[in-house]
Amino acid sequence: MNPLLDIRDLCIGFDAYGQHRRVLHNVDLHVNEGERVSLIGQSGSGKTVTMRTIIGTLPMPPGKVEQGSIYYNGQSLLDLNKQDRNRLKGIGISIVLQDPMLSFNPVLTIGRQMDDVIRYGDLRLRNSRSRADRRTHMIETLNKVQLRDGGRVLDSYPMMLSGGMRQRVLIGMALLNKPRLLIADEPGTALDVTTQDEILALLNRLVVEEGLSLLLITHNLGVVREMADRVYVMERGHIVETGTRDEIFDAPQHAYTRELMAAVPPLYGDGVKTTEHEGTQPIVDVASVSKDFETRSGWLNRVTGSFRAVNDVSLTVQQGDIFGIAGESGSGKTTLAKIIMGLTAPTKGAVQIDGRSLDGFAGTQEFRKLIQIVYQNPGSSLNPRRTVGDQLAVPLKFTGFDKPSINRRISELLDLVELPQNYSAMYPHELSGGQKQRVAIARALSVNPKILVLDEPTSALDVLVQSTVIDLLHDLRREFDLTYIFISHDLSLMRNFCNRVAVMLRGEVVETGPVAEIFDTPGHPYTRALLSAIPVISPEEDALKPIVSKEERAAVLATSTELEDT
Amino acid sequence: MFAYLFRRTFTLLFVLLGLAVLIFVIARIVPGDPARIALGPLATAEQVSQLQEEMGLNDPYPVQLWTYLSGLVQGDLGKSLLTSRPVMDDIMGALPATFELVLFTVVLQVLISIPLGVIAAIYRNTWIDSVLRVISLLGVVTPGFVLAIILQLIAAHYLGFFPVTGRLDPGIGFSADVTGLLTIDGLIAGRFDVVVDALRHLFLPAIALAAAGIGQVMRITRTAMIEVASRDFVEASRAYGIPERVVTFRYMLRVASVAPLTILGLEFASLIGNAFIVEFVFSWPGIASYGVRTILQKDLNAVIGVVLVSGVFFVVANLTIDLLLGILDPRHRIRAGRGA
Repeated sequence: MNPLLDIRDLCIGFDAYGQHRRVLHNVDLHVNEGERVSLIGQSGSGKTVTMRTIIGTLPMPPGKVEQGSIYYNGQSLLDLNKQDRNRLKGIGISIVLQDPMLSFNPVLTIGRQMDDVIRYGDLRLRNSRSRADRRTHMIETLNKVQLRDGGRVLDSYPMMLSGGMRQRVLIGMALLNKPRLLIADEPGTALDVTTQDEILALLNRLVVEEGLSLLLITHNLGVVREMADRVYVMERGHIVETGTRDEIFDAPQHAYTRELMAAVPPLYGDGVKTTEHEGTQPIVDVASVSKDFETRSGWLNRVTGSFRAVNDVSLTVQQGDIFGIAGESGSGKTTLAKIIMGLTAPTKGAVQIDGRSLDGFAGTQEFRKLIQIVYQNPGSSLNPRRTVGDQLAVPLKFTGFDKPSINRRISELLDLVELPQNYSAMYPHELSGGQKQRVAIARALSVNPKILVLDEPTSALDVLVQSTVIDLLHDLRREFDLTYIFISHDLSLMRNFCNRVAVMLRGEVVETGPVAEIFDTPGHPYTRALLSAIPVISPEEDALKPIVSKEERAAVLATSTELEDT
Repeated sequence: MFAYLFRRTFTLLFVLLGLAVLIFVIARIVPGDPARIALGPLATAEQVSQLQEEMGLNDPYPVQLWTYLSGLVQGDLGKSLLTSRPVMDDIMGALPATFELVLFTVVLQVLISIPLGVIAAIYRNTWIDSVLRVISLLGVVTPGFVLAIILQLIAAHYLGFFPVTGRLDPGIGFSADVTGLLTIDGLIAGRFDVVVDALRHLFLPAIALAAAGIGQVMRITRTAMIEVASRDFVEASRAYGIPERVVTFRYMLRVASVAPLTILGLEFASLIGNAFIVEFVFSWPGIASYGVRTILQKDLNAVIGVVLVSGVFFVVANLTIDLLLGILDPRHRIRAGRGA
């Protein structure tokens, strides 16, 4: 049997600013009818270029196919004329892009966008359907992706839907013209883990029910293990290893594949590292803190209601703790962090940092020297127009350093985060993601704080880079006796990094305790649901995950298929 | 949408009230006695003080302000010293000419700058983009009156393609009584000769006025289109097989048009300012020529009237743009509607 998609010896290069760079080297890849194939690689490995070349959205120039061919259903895609090539778009091959928010046009209704896809598909197939028929087809398709209230979805604008719903609609969009090959780029990874779990299950079901073949592009090995029959591993434009899922996961051959596997923090099993620490001196004390946000509406913009983001939270962080705050988007973990940072005042309750109440203390220079933050995305938390040295100097200037001592301190800081001295003169865009995050860490450390709030510090980074940043954080903590408050939705990472965790759900802490205890014997159904939804990379870990029944899950989690009240 | 419209109109009233008070204050601050100026250097002190009394200049300021505001509400702007006619009548007579010119200018700006901006974005970094860049820069840096004189000299005087001055050929007997706009009234009356002649007269002053805005809006459209082109949904739409033309105009331009439209609204202020000069060059019988004459004569009532009308113009134009943005971008509408 001929494969549905067959890429042979594909080489692609880019010409930019007079330089020539080859980004794909002799790529061979095929997808059989009805098969689920994964392409794994880190950012910059060439996954996206491969995807775009298959669909035909790679801009050429600057891109250029230098060698090789792509066959779809026996036709050579690269030799087709433009019209025939376009005819396949959405009909033969369709895509689901990563970010369900950015993949919709924000100013058109969902219905309008879906209608366009059907209409232009029909036009190319010389079909014609009435508006009403098309609408019926759209609602049927939305049913397939488990959205029951299709009519309301169609009349909504993308921003009115939740992330999980948007991801479902996006999959529905790709299915409208009944493609045979679906290419999914990191599906669900922009979503919460429980929602991601639902989306992956949906995709798996659609492959069977709709007779699709799936090419899944991802960096998340856990997702691959749940979604793939066969796997390709890509590194810097080369396919370095290929095999069935079990071959790759049980006995990875190539060093790069092994490195990738090793860098994934295990959720359970022998590989888990537990950070042991028993603090005796409380440094952060949060006592029944609540935070309300007012909602305003009407002509006069009056306060018409309030929303409780944090509800009666109490917790104590000991000196030297790595305290994890886990929770999904909207759980209130970021608001809680802001309260601890003194950036927003709680509506009720009290916070003590280092034995002192935040009232009157927050906002002072002394307080700023005590607690600092590292943000999620170093790409946006660093000023793109200032050099690394300048950025590190800012907090020093405001805390009374003179010029020579600033320079001395900057070079110390670069040493601390293991960056070469000459990086001081570089601009953020010259650095990689991991290096930028090191600069952000150095900036937070510049005033010798005792506490660092880490807001998803590695979630924008590749897994290999993540492990080096985590190692660095461990070293720094030992050296300076730091206390970390680590905010994340990545529970596997939390298991291996933190010594204590608190799990938040809808503004409340539902469970808190030593990390091993919470993960091994989760008490709250929500914690159990969260843990069970995490895609892991070995059957041993799968076996150790809590088993959560549908009913249990439904009791704590809203599914992403219902419309929110707007 | 209705609540949105209502809110916007409501705020507009406050802006106008503020403007009226501000103008009143400025008019009292500027040196010079309006009564003296009106009567000329030969008038006696008695005559001057009599006129001062008549004009209410001796009342306390709050009383003057009240008289002025209550007159304003009734459409009474007082009498012009220059023409000795009610200022409202003068303005109503001159306004349609200016309105027609500005309207035509904006239409030209939209029709020229946005398509050219889209073209520049599609062919970015090619020779087409470079040529358009030069054109837009020339448009921005050339002052309106210089362009007006050059156009008048070359296109009208030497080549004779267009009339040199005025709104309508004196040989054509027609008076615009319905809307005051020659093109519209001509259409209503079925007089196509009038429409064509009016358009010929409009063309050069409108180009002179539009040039700066065209250059600016073209650049902004280009930048916005390039930014939108890199968004995921554009790639997704292409991959779903939506034709390039539809992707460009329905999917990209609609999102990208927010910035250029906002700029067009702000551009209105300079448009009215520039119209003062361009109308002068082309002897356009509009409110700007009237304004220039009254300012030079320190005809206070008339100046206040002109400034107020310009203010209304500006505010209404921006309201229109806001409504347009609300239609184009649901986020704009819903956010404003929620008042967040």
